[in-house]
Amino acid sequence: MTLHFSHFQSMLLFALAISVAFGFLSRRPALERLKYVGWSLLMFLLIGVGIGWVMYPFSR
Amino acid sequence: MMVDAPVAEPSDHQAKSEGMAMAIGVAGWLLPGLGHALQKMWGRAIACFLTVGVLVIIGAGMRGNLFTADGGDAFAALGYVADLGTGSFYVLARSLEADGPDVSRAAGDYGTRFLAAAGVLNLLAALHAYEAARGRKA
Repeated sequence: MTLHFSHFQSMLLFALAISVAFGFLSRRPALERLKYVGWSLLMFLLIGVGIGWVMYPFSR
Repeated sequence: MMVDAPVAEPSDHQAKSEGMAMAIGVAGWLLPGLGHALQKMWGRAIACFLTVGVLVIIGAGMRGNLFTADGGDAFAALGYVADLGTGSFYVLARSLEADGPDVSRAAGDYGTRFLAAAGVLNLLAALHAYEAARGRKA
């Protein structure tokens, strides 16, 4: 079995899994969990893409 | 004159509950989510099982490096500890990676991170279940 994902898809899957786990472990009411998962996922993606752009000038 | 205060001996009940909390933590490590399931925290149990399981399946599917005990250097040893954190899912990952790891591509390198993250996440969940069993977290 070999899975093929793009760089962004890999980052999205990783961020989603970690955000869901953190949300369920650290928050209890369902709404709080949902907010935490959404916020964490957004931060993962924004910071990941942001770091990518910061590294872009040094990539060649 | 100083008088030593009497040191409270841990009661039998405390020792039993500490042992039970330890057993719950170990159960959570062996099978992701089991530590929470034993305490009827169903949402957390399912979330831990699914997230660790998905990370392991994707990591192995991307042919990430699953470290073994005979890694050779400190980084490999750390990677082995992280991978072992997945408990019984370590065996699942090994069985899924029939062709072995392939870190010559970026996907294989990402897979290595997925597997390590799954292990560390499961260790965190097992620690959370242990603390919840001791009454420190809800």
